[in-house]
Amino acid sequence: MKNWLKTALTLVWKDLVQEWRSRDMLTAMLSFAVLTLFIFNYAMELNPASRSEAAAGIIWVVIVFAGTLGLNRSFTAEQDQGCFDALVMAVPELSVIYVAKLITNLLVMLFLTVLVIPIYSLLYNQSLFMPMLWLVLLLGAWGYSATGTLIAGMTVQTRMRDLLLPILLFPLLMPVNMAVVKAAGAVLAGSALSGYASWVNLLLVYDIIMTVLSILVFEYVIQE
Amino acid sequence: MTQLEARAISKRYGTQRVLDHLDLALNGGEVTCLLGPNGAGKTTLLRVLSGLQRSQAGELLLDGARLDFHQPDARRQFGLVMHQPFLYEHLTGPENLRFYARLYQAELPEAQLRQLLTRVGLGKTRPVPVRSYSRGMKQRLTIARALLHNPRILLLDEPYTGLDQQGCQLLNLLIGEEQANGRVILATTHELNHARQIASLFAVLTRGKIAALIPNVGLSLDDIQLRYQQITQPESVAAA
Amino acid sequence: MSSKNKLLTPLTLLSVVILLAAFAMVIFYAPVELTMGLVQKVFYFHMSAAWVGMLAFLVAAVAGGLYLGRQDLKYDRVSASSVEIGLVFTAIANFTGMIWAKPIWNTWWTWDPRLTTMTIMAFTYIAYLLLRRGMDDPSRRARFGAIYALVGFASVPLTFFSSRLLRTIHPTIFGGSSADMAMTGQMYQTMAVSLVAFTLLFAVLLWHRSRLAAGQAHLAELQAAQDEALFGGDSDE
Repeated sequence: MKNWLKTALTLVWKDLVQEWRSRDMLTAMLSFAVLTLFIFNYAMELNPASRSEAAAGIIWVVIVFAGTLGLNRSFTAEQDQGCFDALVMAVPELSVIYVAKLITNLLVMLFLTVLVIPIYSLLYNQSLFMPMLWLVLLLGAWGYSATGTLIAGMTVQTRMRDLLLPILLFPLLMPVNMAVVKAAGAVLAGSALSGYASWVNLLLVYDIIMTVLSILVFEYVIQE
Repeated sequence: MTQLEARAISKRYGTQRVLDHLDLALNGGEVTCLLGPNGAGKTTLLRVLSGLQRSQAGELLLDGARLDFHQPDARRQFGLVMHQPFLYEHLTGPENLRFYARLYQAELPEAQLRQLLTRVGLGKTRPVPVRSYSRGMKQRLTIARALLHNPRILLLDEPYTGLDQQGCQLLNLLIGEEQANGRVILATTHELNHARQIASLFAVLTRGKIAALIPNVGLSLDDIQLRYQQITQPESVAAA
Repeated sequence: MSSKNKLLTPLTLLSVVILLAAFAMVIFYAPVELTMGLVQKVFYFHMSAAWVGMLAFLVAAVAGGLYLGRQDLKYDRVSASSVEIGLVFTAIANFTGMIWAKPIWNTWWTWDPRLTTMTIMAFTYIAYLLLRRGMDDPSRRARFGAIYALVGFASVPLTFFSSRLLRTIHPTIFGGSSADMAMTGQMYQTMAVSLVAFTLLFAVLLWHRSRLAAGQAHLAELQAAQDEALFGGDSDE
């Protein structure tokens, strides 16, 4: 068990160091996110009241789309340098590769969120520093990363690669999309927890089911 | 003495039968050179032996017992050098090695790390990201990576690729050392010149089977090439 | 190559007969509904098609799981065929749903849980087929298809509960407080026959489609063997 954990952390460390030294992906994701926020401004010339209601939805959409850039990249090193094989040969159990990638993708998503939210606040003059909001986004990011990591692991091995990821991933993410937008919206509107607790529960259920299922099937993704 | 045995291994890609009831026994302390035409399935055989790919039929035996790749330690007996480098471009050479050592739970103190790098001729390199390594340097590092966890079995796919003359000699030296340690060594290569110096025997893979096993006893380069031609293209030799 | 199973032809005929019977019942036997009028009769096919869509997805997921366990391509063929057929039935369900909705609620589309879930399921099916199209290696294609079928199926109840939390204007049929549609005994009977007819039709279509896929695979094998015999041993790398 301790072994497993140590291996997972080693893999996460490797991914983070790789990304930090190249900074390709993070920069791209951030630029993409900010540009999308600008586009939303022109697409939705709303009065401040309507816009503040739509905030949750806009933020989540931006994160979902920018997140695909991160997911696509999370496996390219392994695929292009053949490191999948090397990892398969070295790790005690194949599921640890999935969990490590899940953690890495989750951290990247959180990093993105941490940057996007203040920028949104700035651009649209709306304060968004509420702890429950962060909980909701964290649960959403977990679900996104859980399903996204599994799917990205597959699409990186196909011909169409990046093109295929959103098509495969987005239908599976619908529960997360609905739950995050509704719960975040409720938080921003100042509702009490009882008002959106069922959404939070749903998110938690989704996260757990998808993570467990992915752990079970992941060996079939990377092993022939 | 370690022994890795493949019995009646069959592997198909869709409709194509790449390995067809293939038998091969590899013994510790021996260097087997695998020869065969392009596309004959040499790489596939290595992938099946190491557990990276499942065969559709047949079995693998290690020291007489069935090899079960679900056991965590099963794959760790193998050291692999394949076509792709297995290196992380933004990590330095030593970082790559330390990373893999941690995955393998192998002890790799600094002194040992230095020694390993020297063994492959990278002792004097500065710690820069692997991205800036030349092809030859990457190949050397890949070889070091394959050895760091002291595997009992070495599978090498075209290991001389990218190496200069000095590099090839260094590799042969390494293979000789590992052979003396009782390791099982299987290498595929087209470089008969270099292979001749280290091979205990040649195995020729064609049409999905090991067609011949030729002990490397008193053979000249021409002898080997002739025998190879005879086995893989009997029609052309007969006509000559 | 296995010859045609003796059951297949009579089963096909039976399915056609029951389907015709269902049609007849819907048109002549089932009464016209009180509030919704004649258009309500579309409902029988709508529900049956939706049911088959779900069933097809379940079959695809189970077959996928069996493939992962047993590595026999036969399961993969069943899985892929089931998805194809399921997609058609889901499209029918959506289409009939829209025909039904327009005159009654004066809108083509309603963001109602069941409809939304069905549509998202249809997109999952399409994604599945696209995934397979982008892959040439049969065993990898089967593996990834199986994984996606399993994960896709797991997401369906989650999608449904999410949509339901969101809103509902779909009439509750079987009891419930807001009984928008009163069902009589005759309607239940028609419904039952309809369901049986569609389910049997699905089974028959699945069987035929799987056989076709098996035949295609066999043909490819024969062609490859012929190529090998004519042009000699090893492949190009």
